[in-house]
Amino acid sequence: MKIALVGNPNVGKSTVFNALTGSNQQVGNWAGKTVERKSGLIQRANQEIELIDLPGTYSLTAYSQEEIITREYILREKPDVVMAMVDASNIERNLYLVLQILELSPRVVIGLNMLDLAQTAGITIRTSELAAALNVPVVEIVAAKGKGIEEFLTEAIRVGELEQDLSPVEVSYPKELEQKIQAMEDLLAKTKWATRYPMRWLALKRLERDPEIGQEWKISTSQSRKSKSKDSCCDPGDVVNYELLETVVLPGDDLLQTYEAEGWSKDHFEMAFADAKYKYISHILPRFRTHENPAKPTWTDLLDRWVLSPIWGYPIMFAVLAVVFWGSFVASAPIGDAVSQGMAWTADVLVGLLRWGHVPDFVQSLVRDGIFAGVGAVLAFVPQIAIFFAFFSFMQDSGYLARAAFLGDRFMQLMGLHGKSFFSLVSGFGCNVPGIMATRTLEDPKDRLITMLINPLIPCVPRLGVMSAVVAAFFPGSRGSVVMLSLLFLSMILVMFSALFLRRVVKQTERSAFVMELPLYHIPTMRNVLIPTWHKTYSFLKRAWTFILVASIVVWVLSSYPQGVPMNETWAGDMGGWLSFIGRPLGFDWRIMVAIVFGFTAKETTLSTLGILYGVAADASQSIAQAMTGAMTPLRAFTFLVVYMLYIPCLASVVTTYKESGSLGWTSFGVAYNLILSFVMGWIVFHGGMLLGFQ
Amino acid sequence: MKRLLGDLKPGERACVEHIEGGGALRRRMMDMGIVPGVELEVVRRAPWGGPLQVRLKGYYLAMRRGECAKIIVTEAHQEHREHLLASR
Repeated sequence: MKIALVGNPNVGKSTVFNALTGSNQQVGNWAGKTVERKSGLIQRANQEIELIDLPGTYSLTAYSQEEIITREYILREKPDVVMAMVDASNIERNLYLVLQILELSPRVVIGLNMLDLAQTAGITIRTSELAAALNVPVVEIVAAKGKGIEEFLTEAIRVGELEQDLSPVEVSYPKELEQKIQAMEDLLAKTKWATRYPMRWLALKRLERDPEIGQEWKISTSQSRKSKSKDSCCDPGDVVNYELLETVVLPGDDLLQTYEAEGWSKDHFEMAFADAKYKYISHILPRFRTHENPAKPTWTDLLDRWVLSPIWGYPIMFAVLAVVFWGSFVASAPIGDAVSQGMAWTADVLVGLLRWGHVPDFVQSLVRDGIFAGVGAVLAFVPQIAIFFAFFSFMQDSGYLARAAFLGDRFMQLMGLHGKSFFSLVSGFGCNVPGIMATRTLEDPKDRLITMLINPLIPCVPRLGVMSAVVAAFFPGSRGSVVMLSLLFLSMILVMFSALFLRRVVKQTERSAFVMELPLYHIPTMRNVLIPTWHKTYSFLKRAWTFILVASIVVWVLSSYPQGVPMNETWAGDMGGWLSFIGRPLGFDWRIMVAIVFGFTAKETTLSTLGILYGVAADASQSIAQAMTGAMTPLRAFTFLVVYMLYIPCLASVVTTYKESGSLGWTSFGVAYNLILSFVMGWIVFHGGMLLGFQ
Repeated sequence: MKRLLGDLKPGERACVEHIEGGGALRRRMMDMGIVPGVELEVVRRAPWGGPLQVRLKGYYLAMRRGECAKIIVTEAHQEHREHLLASR
């Protein structure tokens, strides 16, 4: 049996899904989309149930990725039952989606969640009356406490096994509209194609001139296997692809033209249908809902008075962000250190074994300096990413993330971005990898892509560390903070400029709207925080480690062959030599270019590379930076800092961009854009500085 | 008296008369429950020209000023008016 879980965002859908499937979930992407696809297998009463968690959506039109996925799944896969989650505290808008689902699929069970939240707001819902009004079963659940979830599933299975479809209510449209629907239905009934779909729904969509009506799709398993092998990093989970079989010409064009002439355009029909659905809901609402003291402020109102206040909102947001940053990137440092020490220790043990087995020296070096050093550098970041995502899930679930988007929207508006980009960009200061992954909250794929591509321009903690060491060595005292601030200011300007520039490059038919729900606050369940954290960390590890492993080996080979020569004569040193023609206009010598080349894998290694190149024995960043002062003028150092801050953060960020955008083209574009921008900026700074007489 | 939603002060209420423009933005607004006849309340405005927090049907929405300027409203307490052909 196939069951689909549908509902508005923030109704507790994932809580129910997690409770029912537990760890038995498959997380991937919808084919060709950047929306998460979650499915799980459950065993109940001798049958296997495939439960699929459809993305949270407000409607079933074809305007957003989430809506299209949900609609296509119900239409093409024809699940046996649809479990529709409804938020009792916000029942009017939730029922709007339910009415649309009922037009599509007659077998629906409603799960009424958040009754406790509704009660505190003075709302009482009479479940049996609601069931009678819609003529579908309704189950009360308290998802956060795990109550009623099992009953919800049992009811869904019962409905799925019924011989006959339920006969849920039909929205009664106003007379004028009803006649038009009826006329269209009559026309469509004569087509063979139309008999496979709910007739009334088809008529409504035909009147709305929905482009997909009339298309015949086939599930293509062969293609899905092919794309799976081609794109194994980007489409995990079982991916279903569709192929357009044929497009049926449906009757009714003349009718549509007649209506158009009467003033009933596509927009007008859409408006009238939405209007009628909401009217219908407010008509039946008094039968099952009573709302006492609607003016009484709720918890959310009281909290928002502070959290969204024009005066206190920003300090509170900075405090929250400070806690998140401190927790993810400072407090996690000992764990990260322990991981890298553990890796070093394992490497030593392994090398000891290899030596005992008389394995050649270069293999020992490959294991210790290549594989373990490289992979260890990335693994040391995993605790950061995991803790960050725990915070992220908590903020998203609790409702704070939407508030941060509300407060940050003004700044994002300047860049032509969505308020939700704000958090992704701010996260970039911690680590660009979770920053890029945090773009998942953005609904519009184009907004997402732009946010993803500009994120690397924001200096992350490791880069800031290297930068501040270099700044401290070259610009002692208060000059240092001015230099550091000027660098950060430059990064901000470039982020803004790039956002506006990419807006022109990325084709977008219609600018996305900032119409965002501010959900009621609630405390997320432990499971809802930990499961996504685990999935995100695991998927990062799974896709990063092969790339990182290969890259570490490549870097090791380049920097250790030919064997027994100083670093400037290795292949990597040669590369730095070839590349010095790029560096020369910026005043860089070959050492800097070598350090930049090596920085591709992970930028925090840049200082130690420079340390080796300048022949500094000590490992401390301060002494390495000090050694550089003898070899460079402050202007060159500043130019180096500009280039260093702006070019690609690390290999992991590139891999993450590829995975999140699903496009090799855009990933390459992002890398090329970053490189060109960083060197062009470096050139401008260097020559501008010379003109102004700096040395 | 007709006004734009974006012109309301915090705490003021009004009913939706109609939504200007078309396409995805209007559709999105309708999906969120902004249809003719619905009562809206501006709860607060983010500083420096930021978005507005609007309450409708017992929940909260954030909308930019530019989007609010597309919503034409009339004074509240006219819920019994018919708005069947309101988009014309």
